[in-house]
Amino acid sequence: MKIKFILTLFALVGLLSTNVSAQTADEIIEKHIAAIGGADKLSKLNSVIMEAKVVAQGMEIPMTMTRAHNKGWRLDINVMGMNGWIVMRPDSGWTFMPFQGQTKPDAMPQEAIKEGLDQLDVQSELFNYKEKGHTVSYLGMDDVEGTECYKLKVVTKTGNTNYYLIDPSTHYIVRSITKRKANGQEMEVESDFSNYKPIEGGYVFAHTITSQMGPMEVVKITVNSEIPDSKFTSGM
Amino acid sequence: MKHWFLFLSFILAEISALQAQTKVNSSTFGAIEARALGPGTMSGRITAIEGVNKDGKTLYIGTAGGGIWKSTNAGASFNPIFDKYCQSIGAIAIDQNDPKVIYAGTGESNMRNSVSIGNGLYKSTDEGSNWVKLGLDSTEHISKIMLDPSNSSIVYVAAPGPLWSDSPHRGLYKSVDAGKSWEKILYVNQRTGCADIAIDPRNPNIVFATTWEFRRKPYSFESGGKGSALYKSEDAGKTWRKITKGLPEGDFGRIALTLAPSAPDNMLAIVESKNTGLFISSDAGESWKTQSATFNVVSRPFYFSTLVVDPKDHKRVYRPALSFSYSDDGGYSFTDASNDGGWVHSDHHALWINPNNTNHMVLGTDGGVYISNDRGATFTFCHNLPVGQFYHVAVDTKTPYNIYGGLQDNGSWIGPSAKPGGISNGDWKTLYWGDGFWTVPDPSDPDIAYAEYQGGHMARIDLNSFKTWPIQPMQTPKEEKLRWNWNTPIITGQKNKKNLYVGAQYLFKSTDQGRNWVRISPDLTTNDKSKQNQEESGGLSADNTSAENHCTIFTAAESPLDENVIWVGTDDGNLQITMDGGKTWKNTSAAYAQLGIPAQTWVSSIEASRFDVKTAFATLDNHAYGDHHTYLIKTTDSGKTWSRITSSEFTGFAHKITQDRVNENLLFLGTESGLFTSLDGGLSWFRMKNNIPDYALVRDIQIHPSENALIIGTHGRGIYVIDDISVWRMMSKEIAERDVYLFPLESRVISDGKYGGGSPFSGGWNAPNPESIPAFQYYLKDRMMSGEAKLEVFDMEGKLVQTIPASKRKGINKVYWNYRMKPPRVAEGGAKLDFGGFTAPQVLPGNYKLKLTAGNKVIEDTLTLLHEDEKNYNLEDRKLQHEIAMRYYRMHEDLARTVEELQNEINLYNQAIPKIKNKKNKIVATTYRDQLETLRSTLLATKQKSVFADETKLREEISEAYGNVAGGNQRPSNLMIERSVLLRSRVDQAMEDVKNKKMKEGKKCADILKSERIDIPAKP
Repeated sequence: MKIKFILTLFALVGLLSTNVSAQTADEIIEKHIAAIGGADKLSKLNSVIMEAKVVAQGMEIPMTMTRAHNKGWRLDINVMGMNGWIVMRPDSGWTFMPFQGQTKPDAMPQEAIKEGLDQLDVQSELFNYKEKGHTVSYLGMDDVEGTECYKLKVVTKTGNTNYYLIDPSTHYIVRSITKRKANGQEMEVESDFSNYKPIEGGYVFAHTITSQMGPMEVVKITVNSEIPDSKFTSGM
Repeated sequence: MKHWFLFLSFILAEISALQAQTKVNSSTFGAIEARALGPGTMSGRITAIEGVNKDGKTLYIGTAGGGIWKSTNAGASFNPIFDKYCQSIGAIAIDQNDPKVIYAGTGESNMRNSVSIGNGLYKSTDEGSNWVKLGLDSTEHISKIMLDPSNSSIVYVAAPGPLWSDSPHRGLYKSVDAGKSWEKILYVNQRTGCADIAIDPRNPNIVFATTWEFRRKPYSFESGGKGSALYKSEDAGKTWRKITKGLPEGDFGRIALTLAPSAPDNMLAIVESKNTGLFISSDAGESWKTQSATFNVVSRPFYFSTLVVDPKDHKRVYRPALSFSYSDDGGYSFTDASNDGGWVHSDHHALWINPNNTNHMVLGTDGGVYISNDRGATFTFCHNLPVGQFYHVAVDTKTPYNIYGGLQDNGSWIGPSAKPGGISNGDWKTLYWGDGFWTVPDPSDPDIAYAEYQGGHMARIDLNSFKTWPIQPMQTPKEEKLRWNWNTPIITGQKNKKNLYVGAQYLFKSTDQGRNWVRISPDLTTNDKSKQNQEESGGLSADNTSAENHCTIFTAAESPLDENVIWVGTDDGNLQITMDGGKTWKNTSAAYAQLGIPAQTWVSSIEASRFDVKTAFATLDNHAYGDHHTYLIKTTDSGKTWSRITSSEFTGFAHKITQDRVNENLLFLGTESGLFTSLDGGLSWFRMKNNIPDYALVRDIQIHPSENALIIGTHGRGIYVIDDISVWRMMSKEIAERDVYLFPLESRVISDGKYGGGSPFSGGWNAPNPESIPAFQYYLKDRMMSGEAKLEVFDMEGKLVQTIPASKRKGINKVYWNYRMKPPRVAEGGAKLDFGGFTAPQVLPGNYKLKLTAGNKVIEDTLTLLHEDEKNYNLEDRKLQHEIAMRYYRMHEDLARTVEELQNEINLYNQAIPKIKNKKNKIVATTYRDQLETLRSTLLATKQKSVFADETKLREEISEAYGNVAGGNQRPSNLMIERSVLLRSRVDQAMEDVKNKKMKEGKKCADILKSERIDIPAKP
């Protein structure tokens, strides 16, 4: 009896002490996909329009990010009634930032387009990553500002390396790190995600995205609307 | 049965409670990041350099105590990539067949007295972004890693092994599965490790290795013995043959070995022996002949072990050592590098030559990294590697305060803690030369500091002229020959600021800045004569630089409460106290020996408590006997008894204990591998990260007497400063249990920051200033994954003044308010941005309500903002400034509304005109629209097409004046006030013009639209 009790006690203590059991990349991704809406819904996600604002000491800069799955990506920024934008499609891209006197859109270098191609996947590069030709490895737990997270490394089909840190309790992405080479120089871009909320259609999106530039608050997300191709051209 | 169940429930409840209890640890304070002051002007010892052969510009730099730094631009900039691991690097290897794969061996093998200790071998498969430990944990020192060039799965690791003790964990290790498993393939004995490797690139089964017998003791070292030898294997390490033909008779010490990549039968070796020299072989190492014994080739072989042959030219040989020498005749004659590109720091330990452009090479020295583009004839210094190795740091009380410190092989320096534009390399000034240690300002004289070089050679320094006067106490007939530690303590009085103490084996005291001295103690050491034979130290090569001086005083402390209470710690295990200013001394070491701390353990620091005269803390360091325990002890009875403070968190032998000046339970401990904090007087500890490497070599910790700053001196990453430790002082278990907690809002002075300045970064290490405006600090128990976080500021009437997004990390968070309102809305639709839209007036002094929202939790508090007079700026000036700024602010808002109204009307007619059928009507409407456009173009810049073609209209004119008024804290000038009247009248005129236009022509045109039945929504 006593032995049985002690064994039970040990088992229970063991259970309580185990914070994180061993995981594989696929298990983590499966839970993450489920947390953000599920595989079925993600497979039907064709476009996302995100209306957001960046707030700095009271000044608000509205921006809209428009993404059509594997077709194009566009960011519009409005400052004092002036519009600037970045557009990318699988074969080309342009930037137009008139705030400093630019008058015509600039074409994006091919190197930048190659590095940005992963952005065209609106369904998350972790979803169906094998079919997409990416490889994913689980690097173990890593600390994000005091919160221990699963760390996944993704090498995309295009050769880009991205890291995702996933919160073990919610399975949401806490941080992404994209490793890029610009002119052969290596740089890492970190983005933190929070304020996860469900939106129409049962998808769950982060509504605060914080980069080195500061936090961006998402005001509205529209999914699966028809986005004309013309949105992703160099036309103003 | 029932009681079992109850007991079980109770136990489970207890365990659950323990599980649920929030731990205060580094993450609690993670947002409070230390400033890395660097500097980069005196860098530190570089131990390994490897470059990616394919691109010639990706460099990995291994350092003695600052981890690994990576450059992807040939040294223009570097980033640390090893901050979570052991900071002492012995060797780096890149898999040149797949340069994403990097190996790093920890524990450098330049076996000087202060060398740190590694904990094994690491590997990255993603160019250094992530690392895994492969093992070899107990090797402690790794000198070389080599990969089989034809098969990257085969890796060799040379491990000299533990320096201070016998150990089987040394020798040559081999892996055939890219590091998953290891086999020791060459091992001599517990005293002999492996120092060097060479692989024949034509036939990688041919491997050469040198073994090295070496041992340090706290008071001497010995390089050389029967174990040292040169070996050759022709079956990839299965069997080994000792090579002796042509090499000197007798014992060897360290052997540096290399082969010419372009003609691998040609080999070179510097063989330490009774006749140390450079030897060459032209038959793949089978036989050797002597080639050279020039000074730079033979000097300090235990410390200088780098020998490299040009990858393309087998006659071009490089010997980076005390200086940088090169040979064009296979090592027969050598020339030294020129100093035309600037002095190259002496003492070299690493060289990488770009194999595709052999003019290009990167050199590692005791003072940082240098790059040559002319085959080593001249070098330029990389000013951007902050890997200085400080022994001690100190601060003064000037504003801003200065930081003082002495560095390994890099002298003694002073630099400011803040400066307009940030603190750059050039702000650091050298006070004294040699190896630098204690560098301390005189607390009673702002013009004076004290510094030293190795062996107690100390001086008083005038901080204005930097003139120096030697002050080292001299031996009199009453003393034995004075014994000075390599790192001799220079201590200023904590209670009596006039007191100056220095320690040989005796403690000396001066009250006149070192002009005259009184010996206030007998010999406080064990005076063990067997430990005082430094002249015989070095082994085969004599080496007596004072680094092994022993039976000396290493540290001392005057009680901040009583100048007669002085503590002294020695390097041979004595911890002495006097309570009568030195008349009588008591050795307390027997009391802590009872705790199991070995008798000879080095006393590394003593902290005399400022809260209780009988209380003191001490750190003890026994690593020189192969014992790596973290020894921290405390007494509350003047050393009669000691208790040991331990923690499972501790790593590394202990260097420094510091007790806070405000909260007696707040302790900081620095060790050879980490910085630790206790909030509960030492009961529990956590490792501090705060932008400091996890395993930083922390040699010194100071708390500024009047600022809330913690100053940390590291031996490999320069100086770090945490500017405000007040939340450490306030943090409690109770706060840690709350979901959200806003730290008390003390009243604050409205300020736009202490410093301006700053121009584009022009290279070198540039440290930021302290926060110009202090943050509001709040605590979150957990990272917020859902919900919003923001700080809102309201005036006392409840009007929203400002909204600031807030961070959501676990632990302390910071949110900044610049004491300004929201900027005005400015007229839109111009051809350029208008900075008026980014400028907001400062708020006025008074009370404000702060509302912190974190998800569904809201905390409100009241903040009092104060005015503080500045030169030519009193409260009346502030009020006037606010008033005038608000005038301009309102002009912007009025103009914005007017322009919007105008633009709406223009838009309306832009749409309507094409629809007007009547020709005459069309002309009327078009004229009206054009007149509106003309009016609009007088109100804001609409035509500017380039930043170089400035266009200034009313909006821009308002912004210029508004920016001048609202920008900095000053009373508005008479002209700023006058101009506000003029511009106000023009805004009023514009409003009137628009109104009139709309009333007259506008009304007519509206009738036309009506008559033509054109209906355009009001705001298209």
